[in-house]
Amino acid sequence: MRNYLLCLLFLLGTMTALAQQRVSGTVTDSDGVPLIGVTVIETGTNNGTVTDLDGNFSLNVSDGGTVTLSYVGYESQTMVADGSAMNVSLASGVALDEVVVTALGIERDKKAIAYSATEVDGDNFSKARAMNVIQSLSGKVAGVNVASTATGAGGSTRVTIRGNSSISGNNQPLYVVDGVPIDNTNLGSAGMWGGQDWGDGISSLNPDDIESYTILKGNAAAALYGFRASNGVILITTKSGKNRQGIGVEFNTQIRSENIINHLDFQDEYGHGRRGVAPTTQEEALANGLYAWGAPLDGSSVIQFDGESRPYSSVGDNLGRFYRTGTTFSNNLALTGGNEKYNFRFSGAALNNEDVVPNSGLDRYTFTTKTNAQFNDKLSANIGVTYINEGVQNRPRLSDSPGNANYTAWSLPASIDIDDLKGDPDKLGANDEGFELQFNDNVFVTNPWWGTHQFQANSTKNRMIGNVQLRYEFVDGLYARGRVGLDRYNARRTNLTPYGTAFSAFGGMDEQGTEFQELNNELILGYDKDLTDAIGLNIFVGGNQLRNKRETIGGNGNNFSVPFLHTLNNAANRSTIFNFSEFQNNSIFGSAEIAFNRAIYLTATARNDWFSTLTNADNTSDNDNFYYSVGASAVLSDVLNLPSQIDFAKLRVSYGEVGGVGAAEQPYLLGLNYGIFGQGHEGNPLGGVNNGSVPPIGLTPLTSQEFEVGLDFRLFQNRLGADFAFYNRQTNNDILNAAVSPTSGYGSKVVNIGKMQNVGIELLLYGSPVKTSDFRWDVSFNFAQNNNKVVSLLTDEDDDENIRVEESRTRNAYIEHIEGLPYSQIMGFSYERDEGGNIVFDGDGLPTRGELMPLGTGVHPTSIGINNTLTFKDLSLSFLIDSKSGGYIYAATNAYGYFRGLHRNTLDGRDAGIGDVSAENIEDYYQSIAFNISEEFVEKADFVKLRELVLSYRLKKSLIPKLPFESINIGLAGRNLWLISSSVDNIDPESTYTVGNGQGLEMFGVPQTRSIQLNLGVKF
Amino acid sequence: MKFLKYIIVVAACLMFNTSCDNGFDELNVNPTAANEIDPKFQFSWTQLRTSGGRYENWRANLIYSSMMMQHFASTCGYWSGDKYSYNGGYSSSLFDRAYTEQVKDVQDLINTLETKEGADQAMLGMAKIWRVVIFQRLTDLYGDIPYFQAGKGFLEGIDFPEYDAQETIYADMLEELEEGIALLPNGSGFGGADLVYAGDADKWKRFAYSMMLRLAMRLSEADAGTAQAWTAKAVAGGVMQSNDDIAFIQHTNGPEGINMNGIGEVLDKSNGFGDDCPRLSNTLVDWMTGTGDPRLDIFGVTPVNGGAHNGLPNGLDDTSIQDNPTGTSTDDFSSFNPTIVQVSSPMFFQTYAETQLLVAEAIKRGWADGSAEEHYNNGVRAAMQQWSIYDASLAVDDATVDAYLAANPYADSFEQIGWQYWAATFLNEYETYANWRRTGYPSLTPTNYPGNATGGQIPSRMVYPESEIGLNPNLDAALARQGMSTDFSNEMIVPVWWDK
Repeated sequence: MRNYLLCLLFLLGTMTALAQQRVSGTVTDSDGVPLIGVTVIETGTNNGTVTDLDGNFSLNVSDGGTVTLSYVGYESQTMVADGSAMNVSLASGVALDEVVVTALGIERDKKAIAYSATEVDGDNFSKARAMNVIQSLSGKVAGVNVASTATGAGGSTRVTIRGNSSISGNNQPLYVVDGVPIDNTNLGSAGMWGGQDWGDGISSLNPDDIESYTILKGNAAAALYGFRASNGVILITTKSGKNRQGIGVEFNTQIRSENIINHLDFQDEYGHGRRGVAPTTQEEALANGLYAWGAPLDGSSVIQFDGESRPYSSVGDNLGRFYRTGTTFSNNLALTGGNEKYNFRFSGAALNNEDVVPNSGLDRYTFTTKTNAQFNDKLSANIGVTYINEGVQNRPRLSDSPGNANYTAWSLPASIDIDDLKGDPDKLGANDEGFELQFNDNVFVTNPWWGTHQFQANSTKNRMIGNVQLRYEFVDGLYARGRVGLDRYNARRTNLTPYGTAFSAFGGMDEQGTEFQELNNELILGYDKDLTDAIGLNIFVGGNQLRNKRETIGGNGNNFSVPFLHTLNNAANRSTIFNFSEFQNNSIFGSAEIAFNRAIYLTATARNDWFSTLTNADNTSDNDNFYYSVGASAVLSDVLNLPSQIDFAKLRVSYGEVGGVGAAEQPYLLGLNYGIFGQGHEGNPLGGVNNGSVPPIGLTPLTSQEFEVGLDFRLFQNRLGADFAFYNRQTNNDILNAAVSPTSGYGSKVVNIGKMQNVGIELLLYGSPVKTSDFRWDVSFNFAQNNNKVVSLLTDEDDDENIRVEESRTRNAYIEHIEGLPYSQIMGFSYERDEGGNIVFDGDGLPTRGELMPLGTGVHPTSIGINNTLTFKDLSLSFLIDSKSGGYIYAATNAYGYFRGLHRNTLDGRDAGIGDVSAENIEDYYQSIAFNISEEFVEKADFVKLRELVLSYRLKKSLIPKLPFESINIGLAGRNLWLISSSVDNIDPESTYTVGNGQGLEMFGVPQTRSIQLNLGVKF
Repeated sequence: MKFLKYIIVVAACLMFNTSCDNGFDELNVNPTAANEIDPKFQFSWTQLRTSGGRYENWRANLIYSSMMMQHFASTCGYWSGDKYSYNGGYSSSLFDRAYTEQVKDVQDLINTLETKEGADQAMLGMAKIWRVVIFQRLTDLYGDIPYFQAGKGFLEGIDFPEYDAQETIYADMLEELEEGIALLPNGSGFGGADLVYAGDADKWKRFAYSMMLRLAMRLSEADAGTAQAWTAKAVAGGVMQSNDDIAFIQHTNGPEGINMNGIGEVLDKSNGFGDDCPRLSNTLVDWMTGTGDPRLDIFGVTPVNGGAHNGLPNGLDDTSIQDNPTGTSTDDFSSFNPTIVQVSSPMFFQTYAETQLLVAEAIKRGWADGSAEEHYNNGVRAAMQQWSIYDASLAVDDATVDAYLAANPYADSFEQIGWQYWAATFLNEYETYANWRRTGYPSLTPTNYPGNATGGQIPSRMVYPESEIGLNPNLDAALARQGMSTDFSNEMIVPVWWDK
């Protein structure tokens, strides 16, 4: 309609044209894709036109006049008509009628939204890639905390939005891809006794397929997801086909090179040995292989673990010799095509990675198709299918020493060269007999090469995510939408401790296969129409049925009979594994929004969920919950007379009450059941009560109540904008495994009792300090502060109760949740101090241990991200500075550094002793601290990092008219280039080894990496 | 089709709220576990778990009881019972394990047999008798304990059971034995699933009366009247008649830990593990050498460094052994005989020998009729010959026993009976410790290692798990009743009720 009007105006304009010149040009988007139907108007007149299918336009304008180009979803541009060709690219950006994808994939006017919903362009994630796509979110959105872990390629990421809201349940958001909730279960993490990170669900998505992310942070935003809403929701929209001529071909290739960031600065003045003396026999060298309490390094010839004598001097960078340069090749080919009625997109991607940890790597192949069809003016359909095949070789072992190569590589004395531990060049880490080459007398500290090359921890995963959606429009505004979404995968893993390993002479292995499936069926009936000019209505009701099933079959065995034949069939002792769980959730929901004058919006949603997991055997339990939200949004700039500098201002306020997963996704909790144990005794089957925890009665999922208020405004012709939010969220009835007296027969009982509070602010400031036709500088600044408090745990009162969730391998630091303090407190023993604050020493001159006390939270309350983008014509440079602060970390690596004489601090006193401790016995002094006084190793984990740097150049069609390309993009990007500030010694401040709820413990993980990536993208 | 069904479900939901959870009750039943269990499976399981795992056999039975009773001695620091030092986790180990691994299932089993229509009442009788086996060991070691409300976290929703007075517990256990015996004829029992007697109701009856005698005699100092009355009832009912009546479980060499003897799991070196700390105590070796006891070569092997049997004095450590006149290295002393501590060894709960020794004591007290000497001799003979159940090579012939009895005739003394009971219960150290505390015999010389937790006296009890402090609100009443504080490191000296 609008276009016809413009055409008419154009006709009128041409008829009255006088003293005019003809200008013509092409309008494209920032990727060089022609924009069709862009409005081109001579500024201040009714004279205008629209661009054609190729983005071309021509228009007669008065001499010296200016032309304004505007297009929905893009920033308008005004240019002087000087007779030259106007080839313009419009930047996508803010526009008043922007729409945003909200819960259940419903598109809404952005200004109608009564809560915080942040969109991030998918390009942001593919330019400076992280191995795990979601890690690229770090620092980009206020209130979204991405905790990087030290777990290697294929590892998991912990994402929390607005802090942690559950004490011991899941705290990560729900991920929804094109309307389909996808599984993000962590398939295994390292703990105090070691282990690997077996990956999660979100990491396997292909960044090249993603159009945009919408982050629904608060309860009101996510309320329509009911029991899965309390941690926020990340909606991912994949790319679609386009209405275009012919088939569009898009090819992207990246090569990425990464290296470890070596923060390790251990002492290199004293060599292996004890009591200030270097070993003189091979036995002694073996016994001292892990201790750097020897003599000063003087270059003399000193015996080592293998009986060889080598110069007693620093061998330099062992980590550099051990870790390799990681390389990743990503190739992505996408085909798009279509017309007004049908369009499609197909893409295939391959990612091949060799990790920095030797002999580890990941290969991932992804195929995606997406088809949209408008059969007639009533019926339309969308079908999308993604298939992912992923294989990970040798997931590195972390934390405790057995099989953990990182542990040993990090903790060799300066006089031992890690290359001398290689042993047999054809079987790294092995001695002449093919057994582990031991370099120390502790069998549990594994030779690093044996750990990487003989241990195996391999996994494969085949996953299909698909959705089919049908939409039927009955009459104008009244529609029905049905959708079926499926997420299905099978995951296989092999975990081998090889024959000949020092701590397990005959070896062992386990094999496991897991099948997972979640099916969601959803139906919505909606009405979306402006009733009058002043009043608009958008309502819908619907229902969803969710069915989730997980089954694991496997076997484990130990003691291989035939040496080095590593198959389960060769294990002398074998047993089977079988686990099964299934649950269903039915929901009905509805939403209503009323708009007044397109300026004031009132919204309410409601949802009721029924849970199979909370249904007892005689179906008498309370098994459903009601959730709701209410919100209001007022576009102040439309209803009030604001100063003209204010282009837009919106005030929003909302309240939501939603649920959290926890027990809602744990079937079979409610009844007592019996297991058959072992293999019987002398032919008699053994059976008894299976439950170790008292089956609960009347369990409900946790509820989370949140109030949110926000202000969104733009000033000075959209040159400066801000989005501010304040929220106060309280979690009630959190499900805890509360200890009961073991005399009840049980160790614990699942109860609804915990309370936690998160209060915070989020601020996004963005602006364009410089904006000329050739050059612009865009800057965005985001800040989030979340104050978390554990209000009550096992009883309703605030009485200093605590729950212990993790323990460090050093056994003197724990993660506990404590009433009245923020989540995830690092508990450790302090130094005993006298009234003057001086450390108290015992009779032997050793420091004495004080109280077990909270030493700080392992979760950062504050985060800041600053992104700058400088664009000069077709060249752009952007860099992201990411900072988190307020959290602490317990660095077990440093505790071991004290114990073994590796830490630089242990140099003090080697010549002259400390107090009553002689130089010879100085190791007693540091060892009395190492695994005893944890306070010494708890440090502020604040950091500022240059997270991303991206330099890109776009070669436009006009510059390469003879080549068949539409455009060529060349880019250079880096990640984690510079740790600008950190106060932790020897380790990266982002080095936790688990994505679980016990955050704040570090120990011998895979070092963080710095990567450089070269991108090439071409479009035909 | 599925979609159509779905539309119907949604429509139904909108109209009838309740049908939104159609089928959920069936879906939420764990298909990999049973909702009911054959009582036989549960009885086998409970019996095997009462024999115990490595955990509590290592800590409560060996590290504490066997050392305090001076059957064994050790220089290893963590063998706390040798030196009366306090280790909370070791002390509470039986308490920690028994309630979750034994009490929970026996309570569930009894509940099933009591409430299920047509349940075999002989099974109920056996289960009740077995429950007494479990609880007597617990209360003897820990005094006042949760009894009536124990193990009912699910059955009755009791998360924090009350602690009952030992006097009350004993009164009830004696009645339970009587009830159990009365039920034995009313069914066919567990048959082969009964790992102790393979369903033999007569043996169960004799075992139950033997247990009744043990319980009754335990009250000899605290409540002589009750003790005498129940002793008479037990003897009249008929106690064990020979070593064929011994209550024991035969363990096997795997396939899993649960199948193995818990003591064997600690000490059997052929299993790839083996705690080498204990040596025979000189108290044991000296007494046996002095009396020419043929069991010395059954219990121990001569020192690695050669020579005759030599017992390690209790209370030595790695340093003080250097100055010990009878040997300065642990290799100078007799170690345990590997044959009786195999993972496939049997585990005795009560023997004919101890029963006969109790009868002898009862006659001597005038609580039963007959010849104390005859029963004493029966007890000694049975105690020497019972080890052939462990291994045929350990058989002791009658002539050897006769010679021993001739050289060491019955002397009509409580102390003599006490020594023999002490020797007869070797490896069942819980029972050795309980009977020693009751009678005070044999008179053992305590050690007084620096920094011990009892002021140089043999501890009078094991104490509760420290985790009960602040967790179970009913603990305080039990502590107050027994005159104990929450500083458990000082409370091993507090006697239990029957220990007067």
